[in-house]
Amino acid sequence: MTGAYCRYSLSYFNLFTRFSHLFLMENLLATSPETRPQPLNSPAATPVLRLTNIEKVYQTKTIETVALNQVNLTINRGEFVSIMGPSGCGKSTLLSLMGLLDEPTSGTIEVDGRPVTAYSDRELAGLRNLKIGFVFQSYHLINDLSVVDNVEVPLLYRKGMSGKERRQRALTALDKVGLSARTGHFPGQLSGGQRQRVAIARALAGGPEIILADEPTGNLDSVMGEEIMDLLLALNRQEGVTVVMVTHDEQQALKTERVIRFFDGSQVS
Amino acid sequence: MLRHLFTLIWNRKRANLLLISEIFFSFVVLFGVGTVLITAARNYLAPRGFEPTQVWRLLVRAGQGQKMPRAELDDVLRQVKALPGVQTVALTSNNLPFTFNTNNSDFIYKDRKSPFANTYDADDHYAEALRLRLREGRWFAPADDGTHHRPVVISQDLRDILFGDEPALGKIFTYNIPGKATKPEDEFQVVGVVDNVRMTTDFDEAIPSVWKRLIPYDTTHWETAAVLVRVAPDQGGVLQEKIARTVAGVTRQWSTEVRVMEDDRLHRRLYTLVPVVGLCIMGLFLIINVALGLFGVLWYNISQRRAEIGLRRAMGATGAGIGWQFLGEMMVVTTFGVILGSLLAAQFPLLNAFDLPAQPYLLAIGAAAGAVYLITALCAWQPSRLAASIQPAVALREE
Repeated sequence: MTGAYCRYSLSYFNLFTRFSHLFLMENLLATSPETRPQPLNSPAATPVLRLTNIEKVYQTKTIETVALNQVNLTINRGEFVSIMGPSGCGKSTLLSLMGLLDEPTSGTIEVDGRPVTAYSDRELAGLRNLKIGFVFQSYHLINDLSVVDNVEVPLLYRKGMSGKERRQRALTALDKVGLSARTGHFPGQLSGGQRQRVAIARALAGGPEIILADEPTGNLDSVMGEEIMDLLLALNRQEGVTVVMVTHDEQQALKTERVIRFFDGSQVS
Repeated sequence: MLRHLFTLIWNRKRANLLLISEIFFSFVVLFGVGTVLITAARNYLAPRGFEPTQVWRLLVRAGQGQKMPRAELDDVLRQVKALPGVQTVALTSNNLPFTFNTNNSDFIYKDRKSPFANTYDADDHYAEALRLRLREGRWFAPADDGTHHRPVVISQDLRDILFGDEPALGKIFTYNIPGKATKPEDEFQVVGVVDNVRMTTDFDEAIPSVWKRLIPYDTTHWETAAVLVRVAPDQGGVLQEKIARTVAGVTRQWSTEVRVMEDDRLHRRLYTLVPVVGLCIMGLFLIINVALGLFGVLWYNISQRRAEIGLRRAMGATGAGIGWQFLGEMMVVTTFGVILGSLLAAQFPLLNAFDLPAQPYLLAIGAAAGAVYLITALCAWQPSRLAASIQPAVALREE
């Protein structure tokens, strides 16, 4: 009985912190970067991704390149974190590691408190499918598939999901990004901003906890970039999706909750 | 996933058109070669209807412009039969089994016409010499000497064509010569029915056949007499020499040639095998070309789709899953090619092309489809493995 009471207490506490967090996010968006509150680092924040002593070294016959050096980083549930740094400083490598697309040379990656370094290819693929959504600078849409078929792609790898349910979830995701009227179009028939929205809908369709966005506005003009940024912010605020975004755009980074800066493979702030 | 693959292939139909047409042509070639091989194999395995082993053919030649009196020929036959090691001797026409001589005619019974049927002249010992298998009635006998119509024995396939379900024995049929009055000697009365026979080559199908009773009342106009000699097992050159000496003993003007029918069979077989083997070699080269083409196209496709592979891995596909996807795509493309090829191939049995039964065509369609799937799977295997091994992080960064 005591155990059950404790569990309920903890759940209510989490709910409270979650609402507080969302409330703060609303304020955050309403305030200027200068007056923006500091990120949540309260003890109650739940780490969804934790990287400990991460090193990534690329080796060829002649050269050894240290892409990441002793990176320690925690991403909490519901956070919107931006990663900044000059080209070649290891941002994309970091995102690949966070997305379980690559393995670190040393160090530990934990998802929901569980180290995944020893996971098999199949287990990692399952985790990526269930927990992580990816948004890329160059969209990575499959040109021969319609918008709705593109959005369905991650759901194809989900076991036991019917075709009808896949289609329904894809349509819902497209509705969220305001592309309900373009479901039958092909990527070649869309503008850059619309393509990126499709990519976001694809990331959303699987209901991920984390969205990893690698320079999502990098190929877009400022208006469309703003549009996509607003969409990511809204997803973070309204859906509670954790977003980690690599960007070169200082203004967009300042809109996020926390900015992590990298230089030469190391975290500098 | 299968629906997804079909959608993907359908949407890429222009890009896949060449691949599909390549598979279509491969299917057609394999179907053609398959039909030839299956037909040949079916015929080879079918009963021959007679036993050519231990049968020799003896050709007795009187020489150009020379006479071959009946009495001397009968003497030759009697003396050869009396030789130790000879079991049966039968006089026949020159169109012996496995030779290039043919004699054929078409026949009619009431309104039923036969296709061209091989016709043979045969004496009363012919069936015994070749061990033909009787199904109805009897073989010729001395009792047939006085018959009004010429006695004939027919093969089962001709019997079915001319008489269907009716009894055949005693029935009279004639040559099919429209508008010409039939002479009494061209009216044939059925006295027996034997199994279908394949006397041309090992790989040919049975041909409807008619054996007319040979009545050599006068052989003086003959230049050559063809004789079937069935010998005891393990007879060889010594007996052949004895036969030659025996003929020379009757008359020195006549020359002889003794050949083993089994040698004729093997020799004749080459005439079918050589073109078939040539066809197979050409087909093989074509298939190797197609296979190399498929391999190259798939390899190129994968290198062009590295970003997609990375994306799919990021979305939750395993490395093995990517490999299977590429293999699956190839199977879908193959299915399109096979469907088109099958539609064409199905016309052959429907139109009864080359007078072949439907079964070899259907078997060839199945075999060609199986072979095409196997070839494409083998060609897709290595590129699919390559696709499976692509590192997603690297592939995604490349674009």
